Amino acid sequence: MTAYLLNLAQLAAIFGLLSVSLNILIGYGGIFSVAHAVFFGLGAYAGAHVALDLFPDLLLAALASALIAGLLSAALALPALRVRGEYFVIASLGLQMLATTVFTEAQAITGGLGGLVGIPPPTLFGFTLADPLVFLFCCLAFLALALALVRQLMRGSFGRALMALRDSEMAAEALGKNVALIKTLAVVLGTAFAGIAGALFAFQEEFVNVESFTLDQSVLILAMVIIGGAGTLSGPLIGTLLLLLLPAALTFIPFIPPTDIGAVQQLIYGFAMTLLMIFRPAGLAGRAMGRR
Amino acid sequence: MLILQLLVSGIEAGALYALTAAGFALIFGATRIFHFAHGATYALAGYAFVLATRLGWAWPAGVGLALVVAIAFGLLLEAAVYRPIQRHHGAFFTVFVAAFGVVIVVQSLIELSFGRAFIAISSPLTRAHEVLPGLYIARVFWLALATAGVVFAVLGAFLARTRAGIGLRALAENPDLLRAFGLSSRRLSALAFALGSALAVPGAVLGAMTTGLSPGVGAHVMLISLAASVMGGIGSLRGAALAGLLLGIVENLVVAGLDTQWSEAAGFVALFAFILFRPRGIFGAALVR
Repeated sequence: MTAYLLNLAQLAAIFGLLSVSLNILIGYGGIFSVAHAVFFGLGAYAGAHVALDLFPDLLLAALASALIAGLLSAALALPALRVRGEYFVIASLGLQMLATTVFTEAQAITGGLGGLVGIPPPTLFGFTLADPLVFLFCCLAFLALALALVRQLMRGSFGRALMALRDSEMAAEALGKNVALIKTLAVVLGTAFAGIAGALFAFQEEFVNVESFTLDQSVLILAMVIIGGAGTLSGPLIGTLLLLLLPAALTFIPFIPPTDIGAVQQLIYGFAMTLLMIFRPAGLAGRAMGRR
Repeated sequence: MLILQLLVSGIEAGALYALTAAGFALIFGATRIFHFAHGATYALAGYAFVLATRLGWAWPAGVGLALVVAIAFGLLLEAAVYRPIQRHHGAFFTVFVAAFGVVIVVQSLIELSFGRAFIAISSPLTRAHEVLPGLYIARVFWLALATAGVVFAVLGAFLARTRAGIGLRALAENPDLLRAFGLSSRRLSALAFALGSALAVPGAVLGAMTTGLSPGVGAHVMLISLAASVMGGIGSLRGAALAGLLLGIVENLVVAGLDTQWSEAAGFVALFAFILFRPRGIFGAALVR
């Protein structure tokens, strides 16, 4: 039972980091990406390779993951951010589908459907983090770092400029803000943290394969941010806890057969997304009025 | 002969994509609502047909049921989801997330009631005959072509000649002027949703016979419709239809050189190219904002 709870807590910290990172794009930048699982996946593969081929140092893996996810996203975002909101959503949907195929097919790097197995437990400054409680604290430390950074950035000039162009791109541009640069920086920052979450995930599961980086996963992360409240500090965390505890809670309801739990969970969060958008589009933690 | 064979199946898939994408484009053109749940309409219509077949109904009754389900679902979404959101704020992303929620709900309901496995209806229509040495064509190919041809001819005549059709085109061009003329934009947008949703039915029914259905089919159809609409020029019926046909052909021809897993990806590479280099689409109707 303790092991189960620790496992759940680790996942909550990792997905919390993931939704906080997506919130930088969606909540503060108004950049609606449905491809966040791609960068989560890139980070996971990068972290897994560092651990398998070099040595399983947690910081090194996190750094490599953040670099790879961030740099690739910059390369993709520069052309894609030129187009308007609708097109960007569609382009990111397309990227997600394309990446799923690439992850499945590039077997030399990703191991295909079989994935990469036997990822060793992480080390930190030479010490092996075999104790799940210690690893949990590491995950929480990364989450706290991300939260602190987001909080600090959004109070400063970068965050204000980012939110200004979310609210009115034209006005921000007229005030001399470099829209393309600010947007690209937001994307790089968000996806770099998604990459770190991926590295942590690889260590946590000791195994990665493409199943964790599909459109369903992107939508789950999206739902966490939206249901919790995009553009707020606590919203993504609330959404993450709710959506992670949901399947756990459903297993305790006797009349749902275990094979249907996934579908019932999806049913509930699908309904939650639609109803929230109709009645409370700012999410649970958001202000009652719409963002715009 | 392989190329010819792939071309045939590409045209068959493309004709059905064209119809579905035209439905999406019709709805977007008239109402400016990005109907992301269009794929869910397709899935529901397909499974309605499967249900009718399992109950032993004749195929016209099955098609009828699929039509009723698709149209009812389209109208329900318009009245219960899109209109309340648009009345308050109507930010694009709010509509998108709400529709995505609907897609997830429909997918999980289908999973719960029909299971997760692929379902295909066997029909004598899909039995292939050798037309040329090495080239096999099933009757469903001609049926798909004929359906697409007839539906597009009727739809074209409807939009060009009838009062309601002209009203729909007017709604697309200038909703305020339309209201000034005393026409109801609410009734016309309901009509657009009914028509657009009905256009997903032929693809769903014939798709249930040829490629089969799975709960996730809606997501694939939604992506195809989106891709076709962007490539054709958003809101352009002709463009969406043509791009749908091309996407079907590309998806199938790719198999000649690469693994089948890449067929869907090829469509998206084409989509990216369009978004980056010609976001206005084939017919160049720019998105007015």
